[in-house]
Amino acid sequence: MTTTDQLVDGYHVGDHGLTLPGTVSGVVTVSFDGRYVWSFQPLRDARPGPAGRTVVWPAALRPHLRGRTRLTLAEPGTGRTYVDQEVVLGGEVAERLRLEDPHGHPLAVNKVGNLTRVFAETDGAARAEILHGTARVLDDLRTHGGVEAYLGYGCLLGAVREGAMIGTDCDADLCYLSERTHPVDVVRESYALERAMLARGWRTVRMSGGDFKVLLRLGDGRTVYVDVFVAFYVDGVFYQLGNRSGRLPREAITPTSTVVLEGVELPAPADPEAMLAFVYGPGWRVPDPSFRFTDPRGGVRRLDGWLRGYRDDLPAWNAFFRSPEADEVPRRRSDFARWTRRRILRGDTVVELGPGTGRDAAFFARQGHRVHAYDISPDARSRTQRRLRRSSGTSAVRRLMLGELRTVVVTGAEIGTLSGRRHLYARRLVNALDDEARRNLWRLARMALAGDRGSLFLELSVLAPGLPDRVEPAGLGRRLDAEGVVAELQAYGAHVQERRDGPGTDVLDRPDPWTCRLQVHFPRTLGATRA
Amino acid sequence: MPDLRTHLVKARSAARRAHTARGTGVRARLDALEAEVQENRRLNRRIAELTDLVAELVVPLARREDAEVHEVLARYRSII
Repeated sequence: MTTTDQLVDGYHVGDHGLTLPGTVSGVVTVSFDGRYVWSFQPLRDARPGPAGRTVVWPAALRPHLRGRTRLTLAEPGTGRTYVDQEVVLGGEVAERLRLEDPHGHPLAVNKVGNLTRVFAETDGAARAEILHGTARVLDDLRTHGGVEAYLGYGCLLGAVREGAMIGTDCDADLCYLSERTHPVDVVRESYALERAMLARGWRTVRMSGGDFKVLLRLGDGRTVYVDVFVAFYVDGVFYQLGNRSGRLPREAITPTSTVVLEGVELPAPADPEAMLAFVYGPGWRVPDPSFRFTDPRGGVRRLDGWLRGYRDDLPAWNAFFRSPEADEVPRRRSDFARWTRRRILRGDTVVELGPGTGRDAAFFARQGHRVHAYDISPDARSRTQRRLRRSSGTSAVRRLMLGELRTVVVTGAEIGTLSGRRHLYARRLVNALDDEARRNLWRLARMALAGDRGSLFLELSVLAPGLPDRVEPAGLGRRLDAEGVVAELQAYGAHVQERRDGPGTDVLDRPDPWTCRLQVHFPRTLGATRA
Repeated sequence: MPDLRTHLVKARSAARRAHTARGTGVRARLDALEAEVQENRRLNRRIAELTDLVAELVVPLARREDAEVHEVLARYRSII
């Protein structure tokens, strides 16, 4: 049995994907050893070829496709099974293919392509916990947040269609209709709502100016996210996060009604069926696990512009810091850390921005410096925290999103109020920033260092003829014009104390043909600069 | 007659070039306008962040003594 064997007439399975006969047009669910993992629509997702229609495995699934499994391809709701065969994926291996989280819970691909737990593979006790947690979040949003929150998306669909959670769904989505009609006010209201939830003891993660997640800790140690999405009207157009936009009358939303989900009565839009038709289209009554949203392009662009843009690369950074590639980053300090160490005094504080795995932060701590570290990625912060815990008991690791002014200013103020000399250290961070985030970095540095209270040490990968624009890791960075960076810094009142251009190394310590090292300081006090 | 035909071919070709150039110009201007509108939309979040900073950080800081600055900063970090 090989990965290219034909299973049944016209059906092929391989490491790349599945090939089906052109006659299969309805939704196809894919199960491994009887567990649902993914679904697709051949006409929408597959590419026609001489042997039939070929659909590639989702990117999130591919790294896990190694081992033996009983592959089932079926059409949901009809009892029709196309394939039910033992296959081997990822070469000749004897082990069963395992698609599970670290706790052994089964995983599946959700509607946005991520690998996650789905309700169909969640036991009854956990489902009850999720349901009651969601009810508590709804109650707090309404009672303490002052918004008329209601059940949205998959939970609403499941409640109205079958009174139960949808098996292929993976989270709970809640929405509220804002009375605000200006995006600035919509964002501010969402901030206030998040604070009301924090004050109630919930933990949250902000996703955009208009939505945040509330973390539900389950008894089995797992965390489930409850999304809190804003809905609002601008110029008569209805918007509801994720990305929905169009015409839906206010009377379909408020005053809210109730629906029953797995025996629990929960708030719902005034006209749940009108809301479901708006969100899922007129065919919402027919189950379609492969459903994908097709949102108006203009509405998505507006929501992107108004509410998003500061954490676009975060999922990719988290994925990198969870990947085996991140384990290849050397544990030993970088050459730039040694270069910097020679230019600072014993007893100075070092603040590393973008520490990644924490290799250099740990080096500075071992050298006796007080160390603070800031990173956008929670996975990078965990790695850095672990490294620093072994090297020093006094270091702090915090969140910094350079595209988000609030964390920029509070970080600048925190560093600015440190006692003694402090230095900012950022190795290859500027290569990972867009223009706005880079300018925020200069603002932060000026807040932290103005009045000659320390230096900013930068190492960056720079443009040179014949070198690719993108840089490692995972092409998440881009080379910069060193002259442009220096000019920007000067506009922010910085003086370049030392500059060294030449070959260096990348994040994995592989040769980088052209890098630039800078030591700059901010001699003037705040308010005396041009930018 | 061949002259007339040559002129006609040349005129048609010039008209096609002009039409293409005008189309490209309008397309380029639309792209630029779209990018500028998007740039302006981004100001919404920026203004919301600034307003939040003033209301939740700057004003409380202005009311406190220096010794309490750390407390105000820690509180603000805990709610963003």
